[in-house]
Amino acid sequence: MSRIGVFVCHCGENISRTVDVERVAAEIGKLPGVALATDYKYMCSDPGQGLLKKAIAEHRLDGIVVAACSPRMHEKTFRNAARAAGLNPFLCEMANIREHCSWVHEDREEATTKAIDIVRLMVERVKKDKALQPITVPITKRALVIGGGIAGIQAALDIADCGHQVLLVEREPSIGGHMAQLSETFPTLDCSQCIMTPKMVDVANHPNIKLHTYAEIENVDGYIGNFQVTIRRKARSVDMDKCTGCGVCMAKCPQKKIRSKFDCGLGTRPAIYVPFPQAVPNTPVIDRENCTYFKSGKCGVCAKVCGPGAIDYDQQDELITEPVGAIVVATGFELYTINEKPKGSSIKGYGEFGHGTIPDVIDGMTFERLASASGPTGGKILRPSDGKEPKQVVFVQCVGSRAREKGISYCSKVCCMYTAKHTMLYKHKVHDGQAYVFFMDARTPGKSYDEFWRRAVEEEEAVYIRGMVSRLYQKGDKIVVMGSDVLVGVQVEIEADLVVLATAVQPRQGADSLAQKLGISYDTYNFYSEAHAKLKPVECATAGIYLAGTCQGPKDIPDTVSQASAAAAKVMTLFSRDQLEREPIVARVNERNCVACFSCKKVCPYGAVEEKEIRDRQGNLIRVVAYVNPGVCGGCGTCQATCPSKSVELDGYTDEQVMAMIEAL
Amino acid sequence: MKNSKMYLSTETMNLGFVRKVEALSGSSVRRCFQCGKCSAGCPMRTFMEHPPNRIVRLLQLGQWERVLAGRSIWYCASCETCSSRCPNKVDLAAIMDALRKLSWDANGPSKESYVQLANRLFIENIKTYGRQYEMRLAAVFNIKSGQFMKDFLLGPKLLTKGKLKVFHQKNRNIGEIEQIFSRIEEMRKKGEAP
Repeated sequence: MSRIGVFVCHCGENISRTVDVERVAAEIGKLPGVALATDYKYMCSDPGQGLLKKAIAEHRLDGIVVAACSPRMHEKTFRNAARAAGLNPFLCEMANIREHCSWVHEDREEATTKAIDIVRLMVERVKKDKALQPITVPITKRALVIGGGIAGIQAALDIADCGHQVLLVEREPSIGGHMAQLSETFPTLDCSQCIMTPKMVDVANHPNIKLHTYAEIENVDGYIGNFQVTIRRKARSVDMDKCTGCGVCMAKCPQKKIRSKFDCGLGTRPAIYVPFPQAVPNTPVIDRENCTYFKSGKCGVCAKVCGPGAIDYDQQDELITEPVGAIVVATGFELYTINEKPKGSSIKGYGEFGHGTIPDVIDGMTFERLASASGPTGGKILRPSDGKEPKQVVFVQCVGSRAREKGISYCSKVCCMYTAKHTMLYKHKVHDGQAYVFFMDARTPGKSYDEFWRRAVEEEEAVYIRGMVSRLYQKGDKIVVMGSDVLVGVQVEIEADLVVLATAVQPRQGADSLAQKLGISYDTYNFYSEAHAKLKPVECATAGIYLAGTCQGPKDIPDTVSQASAAAAKVMTLFSRDQLEREPIVARVNERNCVACFSCKKVCPYGAVEEKEIRDRQGNLIRVVAYVNPGVCGGCGTCQATCPSKSVELDGYTDEQVMAMIEAL
Repeated sequence: MKNSKMYLSTETMNLGFVRKVEALSGSSVRRCFQCGKCSAGCPMRTFMEHPPNRIVRLLQLGQWERVLAGRSIWYCASCETCSSRCPNKVDLAAIMDALRKLSWDANGPSKESYVQLANRLFIENIKTYGRQYEMRLAAVFNIKSGQFMKDFLLGPKLLTKGKLKVFHQKNRNIGEIEQIFSRIEEMRKKGEAP
């Protein structure tokens, strides 16, 4: 026979106002197996907890129920008190008679009856509770940061400065990301390169950071504290140890007309190249698709001119596996294009804007390269088609963004501000030019942001026209912009020399496949999902993986840097302990009954279910069963509900316990 | 005109006109972000084809012809509700004043003959008597505008309440009033006054 103690809390008047707590205690006291039932004004207070501890000792209780508020509020408090009194904390349960009862009911009689029911159920559950021991997991104090943009760089630097090893993996030949492409940054108009490149150099020189550029994540195994990451280091064709970064190979390469991705196709680069002069590392890569040697076997000029002999045409992709304890995902964004989308894509292009066929209709990032002092035009605003200085420039906001019909209904958050910035940069460079902006809303929340936008309108004389553009078409060497001013209520037509589209911020292509490798969730647009929109904004639902920057949703540089530092802080919190202690509310497989259908594996949102082989002493495989890794299991119980043979159960929520609770009703 | 398409370019946007309005009124036009509070509180809004906020919007786009074409600026009662409530310190009442002045000078399409007439007679009375002589104002206005019986029934009421005097009363300091007029004339010649 159990000896259960029940403690009913008044919660001041929060509960006792509607629930007759004395009667609840008296009724519950009559149940078989209940050794003690009492009530108190504030159970969570020091004297309340003292009462509980004293009762455990005096009445030799083997389980307790605290009938009070939500377990989210005080379960930890009472379990700690139980532990202090020598009772296994998992034999202490809470019956929620505040949020689930007194706060939502008015009738005292009915509320009291319901409270008695709630407590009775919990008594039945506690009777079948087992003593559980916390799970401890060792931690590899080494972090992986995926993505070398400003988010990844900031997170890597913060973690490394704390004394932990960091692996920084970047897909492109250089770190820097989009921020390295920007000309000037809002709202202060400071030069992006000037604030970015020192951070890139810090990464390269940091003793705790191991940089893998031109590399991608191939596979991720393991769980919090114990990930095994396989990284594909793509063949650079240049030996990084031998190369001195002198640049002779790039100067001598006969292939020079390849469109530079870094310059948004405005400039050209050779087949052996660094994306931009300030690249980190300053080691070129050979673009094998465009290299004459790789295409025809002839040429080989770079190998001939390379003094240190660093060119290695035979280099192969290399797979390396590294153990890490935590992962920060910072894969960033790419811009939507108005081009026609492949069939079957849920996103559409803009036929009414010419599907990207009008040469002088460019996107915001291309304008950044035009305005950048290190850009292909040396900072002169010249239009791509004929290199003339445009005198009438039309900017269109919300292209792709907030366009449900095109497949994207979110706001890209940064376009209002960068368009305001573009009008200023344009006015500073073309004094007699006129900038027009078609906008639906100007969204400028942020420190000094609205002031910045108003400055563009009031001082730099950008003409803002509220209303969306209906169509763009080429007429001679002009682009006709057909719009409307909804404030005046008339149509507007402008013959522009250049049109700049503030296109939507989208997750990187392949963001979904990386998420599948990592076992993290993502939304319909492929932005990675945080565990809680407000209270866990940088954690993934999968333990040990954190998010930074635009891979989680559109955001500007200040927000990205803040989030990166927050993610780094979470990693450092994890690394501050040698062992990770987890609540033992995890699923457990009854291996005798498991039929190895692996339905549990399919539904597990944490990727905690593995296939386990059972072998005899000779090593012959007898059968395969499901195994739940307790380090990864989130304790959601989905597997338990799915299992057709009822052979997986969540500790603390077993079928037996749930049935007992139902029967007690 | 009202609903026709706007072709915007540096040529079609008369920003010189806007600067003139800004100089005359002493108020920024660009500062307005079109919240519409001026139109929300305007007592004359229902008579206007362009509500006050749209007047400012058209000015921002340098569309002076559209502004002056309408009667809106003449319906403004100069009550200054807009100016006192504007969250952005745009002095719309002053802008309306400036627009009326510019419309007057330009002999613009919006020159409402009755408004002109009333204003001219008003000033003439001040010049002659040093103060307003309502009986004469009403009589001359009705004769010159050809609306002989306009507001005729109001006359007796105003008379009995003492709001309308049959005979004029001259200002004792008429000399000073004359000086004011001649000073404005001088300033105009020097280009110091509009």
